[in-house]
Amino acid sequence: MKAPLALLCAIAAASLAGPLLAHFLGADPAAVDLLDRFAGPSMGHPLGTDELGRDMLLRLLEGGRVSLTIGVAAALAAAAVGTTVGLAAGYLGGWTDRVLMRLVDGVIALPLLPLLIVLAALDLDKLGVPRGLALSPSISLVRIVVLAVLVGWTTAARLVRGATLVTRSRDFVRAAQSLGAAVPHILWRHILPNVMAPLVVATTLSVGDIILLESVLSFLGLGVQPPLASWGSMLSNAEELITSSPLLAVYPGAMIFLTVIACNLLGDAMLSRYDPRDPARI
Amino acid sequence: MIRFTAIRLVEIAAMVVLMSFVIYALIGLMPGDPIDLMMGADPHLNSADLARLKTLYGVDRPLFERYLAWAQAALHGNFGYSRLFAAPVVQTLLPRLGNSLILLGSSFVIGFALSLGLGIAAARRPRTRFDAAVNLACFAGVSMPTFWLALILILIFAQGLGWLPAGGIGGAGNSGFGDWLRHLVLPVATLTIANLGGYTRYVRAAMRDALGQDHIRTARAKGARETRVIWHHALRGALVPIVTILALSFGSLVSGALVTEEMFAYPGMGKLIFDAVMGNDYNLALAALLLATAVTMLANLAADLAYGWLDPRVSYR
Amino acid sequence: MFSTEASGRCWSATSRGERSRRWLMLAVLFLALPAVAASAHDELAIGITQFPATLNPNIDAMAAKNYVLGLALRPFTVFDADWKIVCLLCTELPSFENGRAVVTELAGGKKGVDLTYTIRPDAMWADGVPVTTDDVKLTYEVGRNKESAVANAEMYRQILGVDVKDDKTFTLHWDRLSYDFAAIDDFVLLPAHLERAAFAEPAQYRLRTLYATDPTNPGLYNGPYRISEIASGSYIVLEPNPHWAGPPPYFKRITVRAIENTAALEANLLSHTIDMVAGEVGLPLDEALAFDKRHGSEFNILYKPGLSFEHVDCNLDVPALADRRVREALLVGLDRDTLTKTLFAGHQAVANSFVEPQDAGYTDDVPHYRYDPKRAAQLLEDAGWHTQPDGARANSDGKTLSLELATTAGNRSRELVEQVLQSQWKQIGIDIRIHNEPARVLFGETLLHRRFDLAMYAWISAPENAPRSIFRSDEVPSEANSYAGENLGDYKNPEMDRIIDALEIELDPGKRKVLWAEAQQLYATDLPSLPLYFRSDAFILPKWLTGLRPTGNQAPSTLWVTDWVERQ
Repeated sequence: MKAPLALLCAIAAASLAGPLLAHFLGADPAAVDLLDRFAGPSMGHPLGTDELGRDMLLRLLEGGRVSLTIGVAAALAAAAVGTTVGLAAGYLGGWTDRVLMRLVDGVIALPLLPLLIVLAALDLDKLGVPRGLALSPSISLVRIVVLAVLVGWTTAARLVRGATLVTRSRDFVRAAQSLGAAVPHILWRHILPNVMAPLVVATTLSVGDIILLESVLSFLGLGVQPPLASWGSMLSNAEELITSSPLLAVYPGAMIFLTVIACNLLGDAMLSRYDPRDPARI
Repeated sequence: MIRFTAIRLVEIAAMVVLMSFVIYALIGLMPGDPIDLMMGADPHLNSADLARLKTLYGVDRPLFERYLAWAQAALHGNFGYSRLFAAPVVQTLLPRLGNSLILLGSSFVIGFALSLGLGIAAARRPRTRFDAAVNLACFAGVSMPTFWLALILILIFAQGLGWLPAGGIGGAGNSGFGDWLRHLVLPVATLTIANLGGYTRYVRAAMRDALGQDHIRTARAKGARETRVIWHHALRGALVPIVTILALSFGSLVSGALVTEEMFAYPGMGKLIFDAVMGNDYNLALAALLLATAVTMLANLAADLAYGWLDPRVSYR
Repeated sequence: MFSTEASGRCWSATSRGERSRRWLMLAVLFLALPAVAASAHDELAIGITQFPATLNPNIDAMAAKNYVLGLALRPFTVFDADWKIVCLLCTELPSFENGRAVVTELAGGKKGVDLTYTIRPDAMWADGVPVTTDDVKLTYEVGRNKESAVANAEMYRQILGVDVKDDKTFTLHWDRLSYDFAAIDDFVLLPAHLERAAFAEPAQYRLRTLYATDPTNPGLYNGPYRISEIASGSYIVLEPNPHWAGPPPYFKRITVRAIENTAALEANLLSHTIDMVAGEVGLPLDEALAFDKRHGSEFNILYKPGLSFEHVDCNLDVPALADRRVREALLVGLDRDTLTKTLFAGHQAVANSFVEPQDAGYTDDVPHYRYDPKRAAQLLEDAGWHTQPDGARANSDGKTLSLELATTAGNRSRELVEQVLQSQWKQIGIDIRIHNEPARVLFGETLLHRRFDLAMYAWISAPENAPRSIFRSDEVPSEANSYAGENLGDYKNPEMDRIIDALEIELDPGKRKVLWAEAQQLYATDLPSLPLYFRSDAFILPKWLTGLRPTGNQAPSTLWVTDWVERQ
C-alpha cells in the first residue's frame, strides 16, 4: 500500500508545485514559441517542447493539476451525493428506500457513454446559464465534474445503503434511538463512521476511473477546451502526431497510466486491509 | 419467477418510455442545426435557402409537439428517417447493431474464457509471484484509455508488422470471409484486452472466496481430484458473482465499444450513436439510444434471472 | 504439393521422375504468373475522412459527396485545374460568338441571357439509356419545386424557363447576365427514367429518391464509373460504367473508405489498406506535413492551395474593434510569416487581401502589413488603450482591452493557430479569451446572431465570385432580414457596394480586373477582417499513380479520373 500512496503523493505534489517551478524557471507554460517546436530535451526545456513550442514539463504539471482536480473533485462530489442518498435509503427504509433504489437501478441501467456524449454536447445558453459564466475558461472543467458526478454517484449510494442497513440494526444505534437522539445526529455520529471504510475505498478507485473518463471525453472532443490543458486532452492531441513525435504522447499517457494504476492499487490494498469479508464489496 | 419477470419487463418498458422523452428533450437542448453545417460547404447557398430547408425538415415546431409526433409514429413501428443517411432509421440501425453484436459477442466470449482461465489459475496460487503478476497485469489493462490501447495495437500490428488491416470492415468487392475476419481481429483484441483485467479480477476474487469455503475442504478431505474440486465445487459457488458481473458488463459493452469503433472506423452502434448525436439527427439518435438502453436493461434482467436460478437461496417475491 | 519422394517407393523410370519435376516446374510457373500479373495495380483504394450523407447530387452540399460523385456523375460545366470553364457533359460552351448565348431584354430594363446547350451525343446512363433533355426537364422541375429539398434553390430561381429543342439540345432562360454566364456547374442532371417516379410526391422526394433507396442502380450514373456496392458509413465500391463513351478508365475497381480518425487513416495508408488520401476530404495540412516528414519518401505528396480564405472576422459593432487602428494593430501584431512557415512549412501563403493568387482577379498591389509589434503598440496607444502596470491595456474609462476569439471546436489546426494568436496578442497587451464551438453551433447560431468579437474561419468561394454576401452592406444578418447574409462584421462601405454591383454585371475581362483590384485595395485599407492565409490541401498519392491533378477550386480532382493511370 505504501508504494502507490507514495507515487500518488509525489504526482500530486509535483503538479501543485508547477506554478512555483514556472516562476523559478522564469518560463510561462502558455508561452508559444513557434521557432522551437518539437524540440528535444535541453537545459531550458527538461522534457522538450510540444507542437507550439511550449515547455513540455510545465504543460505536463499544469495538466496534472487539471486532471487531478477533476478526478478528486468529482470523486468527492459523487461520494457526497451517493452517501446522502444511501444514508436516506438505508436508514429510513420503506418507500424512501424503494424509490431511491429504483432510481439508482435506473441510472445504472442506462448506457453510460452515449448519454455522457449527449450531456457533454449540450448548449449551456439554452439551459439558461448566464453568458459570462458559460464563456469562462474553467467551464469545461466544471462540466466534466458535473457529468462524472451524474453517473458516478450510484456506486457510493449502493455501498452506503448496504452498510447502513447492517449498521442500523446494531445495538449502539438502537441505544441512541431509544435515548431520543435526532436522526441527523444518529446518521452523522453513529452510522457514518461505520460506513466510511468501504466508501473511502470506492472513492479512491473512482478517482482513476474519472481521470480515464476525462481522457475519453477529450478524445471525442468534448473534454477540456484549449488553452486549458489536461493529461487527457494532451494525449488526444498527441495521438494525431504519434508517428512524428511519439514522446508528446508518451508523457501524458504515462502520467495517466501511473496515476490510475496507483489509485487502483491503493484502493485494492485498502480493500484487503480494512475488511476482506466486507458484505458491501462487489 | 414468472411474476417477477413480468413485473420487471413492465418496469423496463416504462423506463424506456421515460428515457425517450428525456433523450428527446436533451437532444433538443443541443445547439444549432445540421442544415447550418452546409453553410460551410457550398459557396452558392444563401441564408434564404437555409431557412427554407429548415422548414422542410420540420425543425421549427416546438419540442413537445415534435416529441408527440415521434412517439405516435414510433408506436406504429415507424421510427422515421435518418437525416444523416437519408434512409429509414430501422434500416440504418439494424446492420450496425449486427456489427456491434459481432464485435461485442466475440470479445465477450474470448474475454470470458481467458479471464476464467487466468482468474482460476491465480486464485489457486494465492500470494505467489504469479498471482501478483496477474493482479498487476489486470490493473494495467484497465488503467489505460481504450483509444490509447487501440492506437498501440494499430501501430504494432497494422503499421509496424503489416499483418492486419488498420481499420474498417472487410468484404468490399466480395473479398471473402477471410478478409472480413482479418478486419475483426484488432478491434476484438482491443476490446478484449481492455475488459480482461476487470473480468479476471472478479473471477479471481470470487474463486478465492469460493476456495476458502468449508465444503471445499471437505471435498478435498474426502479425496476428490483437484480438477473436480476446482471445476465442480468451487466454480459452482463462484459462478453467482461472476455471472452477475459479466451480465452487467455485457449491458454496458453495447455503448462502451464506442471508442474502439471510432478508432477502427468500425461501423457499429456506438459510432452510430456518436455520429447521430453530434449531427443532430433526432430520429436516429433517439432510436439508437433507446435501443442501447433497452438492451442494457434486458441484460440486467437476464443477470438477475441467472442469479436467481444459480443461487437457490434467492427467491423472488 | 508434389513430393518426389512420395511414398518411399523408388520410382523406377527416371523419365517419370523427370516428368514429375517438369510438371512441378510448370505448375509453379502457372501459379506464379497470376501473382506477377496481380501485382500490377488495377484497383485503387482511396481514404477520405467523412462518409457522404446522401448521394443525390442536388440535395445536401457536402465535399465528400462531391468527391465520390465526381467519379460517377458528369456535370455540364466545371472549372478545371487551370481555372477555366470547360464543358464536360455539353458539346461546347455558349458564347456570343458561336451564337449559343443571346442577350435578352427583361421587364424593368434588366438584362437576361438565353443559353443553348447540347448534350454530348454519346452520353449514356450506365443502364444503357441515353442522357436526354427529358433529364433536363425533370432536373429543372425538381429544382424549382419549393418542397423538394434542393440545396441550391437560388440558381433555379434565376432560371426563368427551359425550352427543349430536341433530344439533346435545350435553352435556359436566365434572369440575369453575369460574367460567368456559361458556367452551370450546379445543374447536375437526374435520370428522368428512374427519378420521375420518385418525384411523384415532391415533399417526399428526398426520401424516395433512388440515390437513397437504391444507390447501386446503374441508371443513376453517367460518368466513367458507377457505384456498385455501398456499406453505409464505411465504404463505397465503384466499377467502370459499361456505357461510358469517353476515354476508358484504368482501374477495374475503386474503393472509397471513410475513416474519420486521422491517426487511423495514416495507419491505413502505411499498411496499404488504402493507396491514397484525397486532398479535398483528407488530412489537415499540419498533419499531412508531419506525415510527409516521416514517410514522405514512400509517397508522392502534392500540395495545392485552394479557395479557402482563412481570416479573423471582426465584429465592427464592438467599440474596441470599430476603431480601425485597433484592427490594424491586431494585424501587425501578428507574425503571420513565421506562423505559416513553422506550422505549415510555407504551404499556406500569407494573405494580404481576400482574393486567392490563382484567381484571375488577383492583384498584389495592395497595402502589405508586415509584423511590427512596436507599430502595433503605437497604434493601440493612439487609439486610447494605455499599458497598465500588469501589462494589460485599458482606456480612459478604465475598461480593459479584452476580446473573445472563437473558432470551430475539434479542428486541431485552428486550435493551434488560435493559441498562437492569443500568445502574440498578449505580448502587445491584448487579453484574448478563447471560446470554441462546434461548427454547427458557431455558424448556425453564434455568428448568425452576431454574438462574437473575433471569429476565425474560412470563406470558401468559387473562381471570380463577387463578394456580395460577405461585404455588401445589406447582407448583414439580423432579425429584419431573417438572418440572411454573411456580412457578419457589419461592414458598411458604399464604395464597396458599388464595386460589387459593377463586378456582377461587367463582362469585359479588362474592366473586371480593374474592379477586382479596387475591391482588394479597399478591403486591405479598411480591414473589416484580418486576412490570415489561403488554405492548402495535401494529396497523398502512391508513387505508382500518375495523372491526378488537384484543381484548387470546388471541382474535385475525381472528375478527371480517366487520366489516372499506373506509371509505366
